Amino acid sequence: MSITRTALEEVEKRFNRLIGTSATNLCTHCGWCVESCHVYLSTLNPELSPVAKTERVRRVLKRSHDWLSKLVPFWTGAADLTESELDKWVELAYKYCTLCERCVINCPMAVETPQIMGAIRGTLTSIKKSPEILDQLTGAEIAREDGLDMMREIFREHIVDLEKEVQEKLNNPSAKIPIEEEAEILYVPLSGVHTIIPPAVIFNYVGASWTLSMFESSNYAMFLGDIPRAKQIVNRILKEAERLNVKEIVLSECGHAYAAFRWEAPKWFGEPLKFKVSSILEVMDDYLETGVLTFDSSQNGEAITYHDPCNIGRKGGIFEEPRRIINVISSNYREMYPSREQNFCCGGGGGLVANTDWQDYRIETGKVKADQIRETRAKKVLTSCDNCLHQIQEISEYYDLNVEVSNVSQWAISALTIT
Amino acid sequence: MDKDMSIAKTLNLEGLLCPIPVVKLSNAVKGIGVGEVIEATATDPGVMMDIPAWCKSTGNDLISLDKEDGIFRFVVCRVN
Repeated sequence: MSITRTALEEVEKRFNRLIGTSATNLCTHCGWCVESCHVYLSTLNPELSPVAKTERVRRVLKRSHDWLSKLVPFWTGAADLTESELDKWVELAYKYCTLCERCVINCPMAVETPQIMGAIRGTLTSIKKSPEILDQLTGAEIAREDGLDMMREIFREHIVDLEKEVQEKLNNPSAKIPIEEEAEILYVPLSGVHTIIPPAVIFNYVGASWTLSMFESSNYAMFLGDIPRAKQIVNRILKEAERLNVKEIVLSECGHAYAAFRWEAPKWFGEPLKFKVSSILEVMDDYLETGVLTFDSSQNGEAITYHDPCNIGRKGGIFEEPRRIINVISSNYREMYPSREQNFCCGGGGGLVANTDWQDYRIETGKVKADQIRETRAKKVLTSCDNCLHQIQEISEYYDLNVEVSNVSQWAISALTIT
Repeated sequence: MDKDMSIAKTLNLEGLLCPIPVVKLSNAVKGIGVGEVIEATATDPGVMMDIPAWCKSTGNDLISLDKEDGIFRFVVCRVN
């Protein structure tokens, strides 16, 4: 079977009511989405606007789903799928769209461009045309479970050193990073130490019943639209949570991990998860509210701003939690404009930050975010997502923003009241 | 590591956080021949988990992974 035929069959598998209506019926070509997109605003290339990107998919879908397009394709602009068009789709879905959803909330018809692009990502993965690095990172996540016995020893060794840092930070030699122990909270970090030590400090500080996951919360299969492997990656952690009898899974500051657990996994598994799922931001905010987490704000007059990650903010609705934490510590918080649900993508989302082939383009499309940061005149940028963290660090260097970039928890622990 | 094994490429990943060390290693491995060896250093302890997992999933050989004075040093042989 030809690759285009296979691709079309794969598209059809993903053609549901949401994607179908968005792709074939809803768009009126009004153009409201154009200036909502950071890719268009950075490049001023109309071919890279949401409407133009989806039009390339729309014309193929119309060919088989719109009666007029079946009869007179030249009349409606419908087209057959070609191999060269498939190559264009790779860039449309992986390079020119970070799935940030800003176009959706600014579209009067709520056309689901990211859902369409997500379906195309899945299609491309099934015909092995997706970026190799995302496939490799997905494979590495799965290999971590397959080689758990070997990994366990390495992990324990790794944690012993980190535990010493937590003890020093808290001036408490009995502070611990428990692993594989029954507890109320299973905390799932990323691989980086900056996502392990700050939450460990906070959990020890408040005396929480917690344990550290053997796995990382990231899920590169989600970027690939590869649902079977995305489920497998989530399932490792669900099995661990069940084994340790926890009540709550707390996720590191990672945008797509939050999306995977909070709303994608229940859809993939066809039922709600058995555990409460929270971001460490929500947990910190709860600790603040109950008074068990206290900060010394006397040394924090430095100008500071916060970048809302698309998954945590626009899609996840976590806007106030980070701001409450920051405003308790900082006396000089500066809101970015626009922010909250209208915040612009950093330019590195959707797995783009891991793809070095498109690095120059990624930095180019970070210009909108760079301009936003510069306007705040902040010296420090906080965020709650590692993708955003990497991208903002890189655009800070490229656009001479001269800002320090950090996750919220990483920054907050420096202001803990230690007696 | 075999003393006769020569390093085809060295890679400095110090200061980089997950997943960038894996991304850069993956790119660098493409630039050496099958059977050749790459040596890299990193500072993020996450590489202790990520690099063995990446080698396992891609079929490349992790020859060694050591830590000294806060620097992680690993040697990978390209297999395919």
